[in-house]
Amino acid sequence: GGGGDQPPQIVNKPRLQELVREVDPTVQLDDEVEDLMLQMADDFIDTSLGTACSFAKHRHSSNVELKDVQLLLERQWNMWIPGFGNDELRP
Amino acid sequence: GTQIRSCKDEFLVPMHLMQARVKATCAKHGLEEPSPEVSALLCHALHERLKTIVEKLAVIAQHRIDLCVKM
Repeated sequence: GGGGDQPPQIVNKPRLQELVREVDPTVQLDDEVEDLMLQMADDFIDTSLGTACSFAKHRHSSNVELKDVQLLLERQWNMWIPGFGNDELRP
Repeated sequence: GTQIRSCKDEFLVPMHLMQARVKATCAKHGLEEPSPEVSALLCHALHERLKTIVEKLAVIAQHRIDLCVKM
């Protein structure tokens, strides 16, 4: 990442390696796999944000709210991150 | 009130980087800058996503090694 018009990559290799160690200290990723994962991280954020923005617009709102991101995470990734405000709405 | 979370928001992505990305994307869509909570949630979601991928890769790699050992 870095230079040019491209925004800096959202995750860097040391942080990715830290995450890998956290999951399984015996796992080592090839260089190419690391590059791919950094790219996937960027894509994840960009597509998620794009979807959250379209949800916000659909609500005729002028900004993205937590519920937009929560909705997309749940619908696209079946993911619920606890600790963001409205856990009490969960079954 | 104050949010208490067991995991730091900053672990994987520096917050300023995520906030800049969020702000830029929202601006591109003609939207205002959302609250920092949105960036924090995205950080945690990304962490979860990458963790899941690494877990799957570890299982797949182990499976490949097991196959080689059997042959």
